[in-house]
Parts: sequence; structure tokens; C-alpha cells
Amino acid sequence: MAFLEVHKVGRDFPGVTALDDVDLSLELGRVHILAGENGAGKSTLVKLLTGADHPSRGTITIDGRDTAQHPDVFNLVAYVPQELNLFPHLSVAENLFIPYDRSDFGGLTIDHGAIRKAAQDYLDRFAISARPTDLVRNISVSDQQLLQIARASTNKHMKVLILDEPTSSLTRTEVDRVFKVISGFRDREHAIVFISHKMDEVFEIGDDYTVLRNGRKVEAGRMAETSEAGLIRAMSGAELELEQNFRPVKQPELPEETILDVKGLSGERFEDVSFTLKRGEILGFAGLVGAGRSEVMQTMFGFLKPKAGSVTVKGAPWKLGDTSHSVRNGMLYLSEERKHHGILPMLSVRENIGISILDETLSKFGISAARERSKVLEIIKAYDIKTPDMEKKIMFLSGGNQQKAIIGRAMATRPKVLIFDEPTKGIDVRTKAEIYKIMKTLAEEGVGIILVSSEMDELRKCSSRIITMHTGKITGDFDAETTANETLVGAIFGTETKNAA
Amino acid sequence: MQRNPLASLVANPLAGVFVALLIIFGISALLSPYFLTSYNMSVIARSLAFVGLVTIGQSMLLILGELDLSLGVIGGLCGIISGILMVNYGINPVVALGLALAMGAALGFINGILVTKLRLHSLVLTIGTAGIYGGVTLVLTKGVAITGIPAEIQFLGRGTVYGIPVPFIIMLVVLAIGTFITLKTPFGRYMYAVGNNTQAAKMLGIKVDRVRVAIFTLAGLLAALAGLLMVARLGTAQPSIGDTWVLPPIAASVIGGVATTGGVGTPLGAIFGAAIIAIIENIIVLFGVSPYWQGVVSGAIVVLAISFDAISRRYIRREG
Repeated sequence: MAFLEVHKVGRDFPGVTALDDVDLSLELGRVHILAGENGAGKSTLVKLLTGADHPSRGTITIDGRDTAQHPDVFNLVAYVPQELNLFPHLSVAENLFIPYDRSDFGGLTIDHGAIRKAAQDYLDRFAISARPTDLVRNISVSDQQLLQIARASTNKHMKVLILDEPTSSLTRTEVDRVFKVISGFRDREHAIVFISHKMDEVFEIGDDYTVLRNGRKVEAGRMAETSEAGLIRAMSGAELELEQNFRPVKQPELPEETILDVKGLSGERFEDVSFTLKRGEILGFAGLVGAGRSEVMQTMFGFLKPKAGSVTVKGAPWKLGDTSHSVRNGMLYLSEERKHHGILPMLSVRENIGISILDETLSKFGISAARERSKVLEIIKAYDIKTPDMEKKIMFLSGGNQQKAIIGRAMATRPKVLIFDEPTKGIDVRTKAEIYKIMKTLAEEGVGIILVSSEMDELRKCSSRIITMHTGKITGDFDAETTANETLVGAIFGTETKNAA
Repeated sequence: MQRNPLASLVANPLAGVFVALLIIFGISALLSPYFLTSYNMSVIARSLAFVGLVTIGQSMLLILGELDLSLGVIGGLCGIISGILMVNYGINPVVALGLALAMGAALGFINGILVTKLRLHSLVLTIGTAGIYGGVTLVLTKGVAITGIPAEIQFLGRGTVYGIPVPFIIMLVVLAIGTFITLKTPFGRYMYAVGNNTQAAKMLGIKVDRVRVAIFTLAGLLAALAGLLMVARLGTAQPSIGDTWVLPPIAASVIGGVATTGGVGTPLGAIFGAAIIAIIENIIVLFGVSPYWQGVVSGAIVVLAISFDAISRRYIRREG
């Protein structure tokens, strides 16, 4: 008998059926992979499992009790959301035990000494290096991620732990720390639900799996009895060319040309960075989180101020520190923080894309609605953006489709240099491949492309060359096709510094 | 994907507030025989005109995610300045009005510069500048009204064209321009972009601070225009002009679908909101409600209106 049993559950929203006829059974002492593309209904299902939302049909049984009659059994379930939702201005210890009445530290006054001591126990257990008194905004991203899991586990009743993409912004060593914690819970007879788009991780940690597609359960079973290709087929409903290579092919008719030349660029968190970007190539940037890659890109783009150095674009000196100059002159930066730096959430897909083609849609009587609609429709088609209609607010689109809309919007300005910073973070396998294809096509058309990524696999698949960075300095420049993984990893961790280009 | 008609009506905040306006208008007409008289209509139109001009500016600031609490006193101060120029210095009324308008724009510009350059929160900053601008009014007038405003400008405040009050016509023209700017020009799109997500707007290469300063300046100009029209209507420049233009425009904007967090809504919706408030205040007077109770009643209706808005919004979110 499974510990948590979902039986024929459906959830309707006005006009949409988000889930239909979904079964799921979780057993104690096992890690269950919940797989599906963006928009398959994973988040909706998680909301039902945590009691944050209620099913329109079907039953959820936890520990043999029907949740409809015993809503209190939801306190056996702990949930760690994908987005960090800690209190940045409170200490690590306070974050662990807030709200205090839940964690037995309630009462009129708070015993900070006791809280700190209790916190240290958790920090040791989870191998978090931060101290209980540190403010959360000052600790590392991986510590924050682990702290979220630690916080969920301060719930003494917890038997089910749901982790929604806990590794999306972590490096491999940090992922190992998270996996250790997960295995620990599994061995102490907890049921774990693990959601991730990273196939290697899923196969490493998972025992069982359930695949959702378009709000329905399409497959379930033991991880040992399926394969990566099988899982992807179940998620996408189609056979995907997996090991495809997305490196741009040299176009003989385009003359060799240096698009971007960066010399001695220094700024906050990086120093003396020099590199060139040639026409027709995708230049990958590898490194740990915090190695300074995003800072270099944002400085070139003008979002951050440089301390020293110069940038030349197509032979002409480039003005730094002015984003509107960069956009006007053909350099665009697509941030890894889609929500914070990318979309205009409450505006429609049309307005989000239309804002970068105002030159083309402006008529004597203001922005021409008809012209805008037809131009935007072209972009929606060209980049295969899935939306019910272009008047839909962009925040209701899935992450992958938001990303494609942002790429489409960027491309409409015909840039010379396009910088992708973690373009596939939190995006499903199929959409990833689509984004790789777009990058490849653009590079072959002569747009200079920079790809910043923490996924070595992604960098190897897409880049022509890979530059590695470690603590703010460039540690190598490698040919992506011929360099061994160990060499790249060594350069990322700063253990060897050499130039093999 | 099917939507029920009620949902799509609620989903379009402009249509929703317009229907609410029609319903309140209809109920008022049924409740009081005096409501539809042309005299009463022109009373409503005139009072809507002044607060409406301020509302157009304030709603555009709110779309940006900003707020200016000094618009009322800017209107008052510019009215006083025009009075001093015309009466004490005998300056040609047209020139005086022009100077006073320019001054309103300048005061708004100062607010905008302080908010953007010093990265101050506009709510706190404009509480401060409201104190300064209002204080200057009192210093200049010692609390006494300036009488003897030239008769030739009083047409602007008291006149009618085909029975329609002139200030109301001016407000409609400004509204048309404001609506065009917000909905049909690149600048308008930039406003919404900034209000939605300032960081993303910067990434798109929009000069965010310039957009902000421009709207602060425009709002100051419109507040000054309202102040001048009020002087023209009263025939005296009174230091109390603008006292009631601080909170109603914000309430009107929210009723009309402008989010206080920025990014959504239109000046047109805000004017519908202002019209709802104006009608409610009018009907309270027609019913002879004690003036002491008027604040309670109109305040309660504002709370009701925005509650309805919040509830319908939750309904839409669930649908998405």
C-alpha cells in the first residue's frame, strides 16, 4: 500500500482543464521522479499534493486517510519550491524556524540563543557552511537552496518531501550535496518527489517515475526499466533526435571577421578579461556560479559599470555603461533571470514582442494595430511560440515559451551580437533543442553568439569554442570539439591554467 | 478555449468599469428626478473636469509605478502664482497663465529629477515636496485669497460651449491626447514597460529615468492647468485650491483599473473611476445627506469598488 495515493484526480479552471485522470503513488523509502514538459501540469499536481489547491475530481489519500475528510494530513507533506523564497534580511536561524509557533519557539518573546543552537544542528546535518547568525542574503546560492530543504524538514511530521527543480542553479559539486541530503531522507523512510529537467540527475537519484503530458498521466514505472530516450519520448510524445550536435557549420560565403574584441575588461567580481568573438561561431562561457561570467556580459552590455578595459565591435570602439546605446547599435543580452530582467509580466505577448519593433509598426497615426498584429504573428510563427492568442498575458505562458518570445523579440531588432545567459534554465528537453537550433541558425547567418551556461553538456553541444572562467579570471580558451571534459572541468575549478586554443 | 462572457467582461477592466459607471448613472437617474437635469449634469461635468485633469496625470504616474502626492498643492501654488502675476503685477493674462503652467511643469520636473537621480521613493519624496510647495503658497498669500482676477479669463472656468462647461471640454481634449500617448505611441509602450518591470525595460534599452521625469513633468503641468481653470472659475485665487485633489485621483485610478503597483490600466479608465466618484458625491448631495456623513458614504463606496476589483482579479488569475 502506497503512502500517498492520487486516484483519478482532475483539476478544472474556468475554460481550461489543467489535470485530468491523473494517478500517482508514492512509497516510503523511494525517490519518485515527476517528469513532464513545461506546462504539463506538474505544478498544478504539486499544489494538490501540498493542499494549496483542491482537486475538482478524484481522491488523494495520505497515510490511508482521504485528504478531503482529513485535511490535516497535508502536514505530512513538505514542499520546496523552485524559486528561492527565503527572507533575505533575516538570519539563517530565523529563516529555519519561522513561523515560530510551528517550530516550538513560539511564545511572547523569542529565545534567540535556543534558536541558534537548534539551527546549528540542522546546518551540520545538511552540510551548510553558513552560520546561524548570517543574513540569508549574504550566503551562497547553494546554501540557500539547502537551507530551503532544511527548513521544509523542520516540520517534524514530514513524511513526504517534494523538491521542485532544487538543482537548477547549482553546480555539480553542489548537486552532490543536495543528493546526499535526499538519500539521507530516503534511507530514513521518507517519500521524495523530485522534479527536474536534467536527465542525468533524474536517472542518478530516481527509483520510480510518473510522466505527465498535457495534464494527463501517460506513463509510470521503475526508473531501472526505462531509458533516457524512453522518458523523453513519454514527455514529448515524439521521438526526439537526442545526441544532435548544434555547433554552427562554417559558411564559406561569409568572410572571416572579428565581431567583438574585448581587451582587459575589469569590473565588480572580474578582472582583466580579454577575448574575441568571430563571425559565425557560438562562443561558450563555462564556469561555476559566481565565476563572474554574467558580470562580464552585463558590463559589455552596459548594465554594469566597467573599472577598466575596452570593447570593440566590428572594429569600432564600443560605448560602455549605456544599455540603450547597446540595443540601438545591435548588442542584446538575454538574462538568466527571465522573470526579473526579461518579460513584462502583465502585458500581452503582442505588447511584449511589439515593443522592439516600434520602428516598423509606427504610422502617422501612432502605432498601427494591424501592422503590429501581423508582424508579431510572424515572430510567433518563426519561433514557434505556443500561446492561445497573442493577447494572452505573457506571465501565463510556460517558461520555455516565454524564453522563445524573448528571443523572438530580441531577434526582431536584428542584433550583431546576442548574449544568452543560461537560456535553458528550467526549460524542458524539447524546447531546449528548439532554442539550440535557433542559436545555431543565427550564428550561421552571421550573428555573433555568446552562450553562458553551467551545463557542460549544453556548452559542448552548441559552442564552437569554450572559454572557462574561475573567480573572475579567464582560465582557458578551448576548441569545443577536441577538448576533453577533464581539461574543461580542471579549468573551471582553476586547478590548471593553460591556453589550448 | 471557451470563455464565458462575464469572465471576458471582467477580464477587460475598461469595459468593467464602464459598465459600473453606466449602472451607477442609471441608478442615480432613477433615484433622483433632479439628477438628469441639465443644470445638475453641468455641475457634475465641471467638478469632474478639475479633478479629472489631475487624475489623468496621476494615473499615468501610477502606470509607471510612481505616485505624486504634491499634485494638489502644485495646482494650488500655480493658481496663486497666476493670480499674483495678473493682479499684483498686471501681467497680460495669457502670459501669466503660460508662466504658471510652465511653473507647474517645472515643479513636477523637480519631483521627477529627485526621484530618479537620488533614487528616492516617490511616495515619501512627494510628501516632502508637497509640504514645501504648499508652504510657499501660504507664505505668498498669508492664507488670504487674491481677488480681482481679470474677467476675460473667467470664460475658461465658467463658460460653456453648446451648454457644455469649458473646463470639461478642456479635460476631454487632454484625455484624448493622454490616451493617444499611452496607447498609440512608443513612449506609451515604454511607460508600461517601466511600470511592469524596470529591469527588463533597461535590458530593452529604454531610458527609464527619462520616461519617469517626463511623466512627472506632465503630471505637474496638468495639475497647474487644473489650478488655473479653478482660479478662472472662482474669479479669485484661493490658497485652498487643490486641497481635495490628492487622494480622489488615486482612488479614481484604482477604481478605473490602474494598479498601484504599476504596469496596467489607462487614463481613460481612471477618468471613468473619477466619474463614478463624482456621481456618487453628487447623489449624496441631492439626497440631502448631512455633509458630516458624506465622507463616510463616499469612502465606503470606494472601498466597495476596489474590493470588487480585487475579487474579480482573483477570478481572472485563476483562469490563467
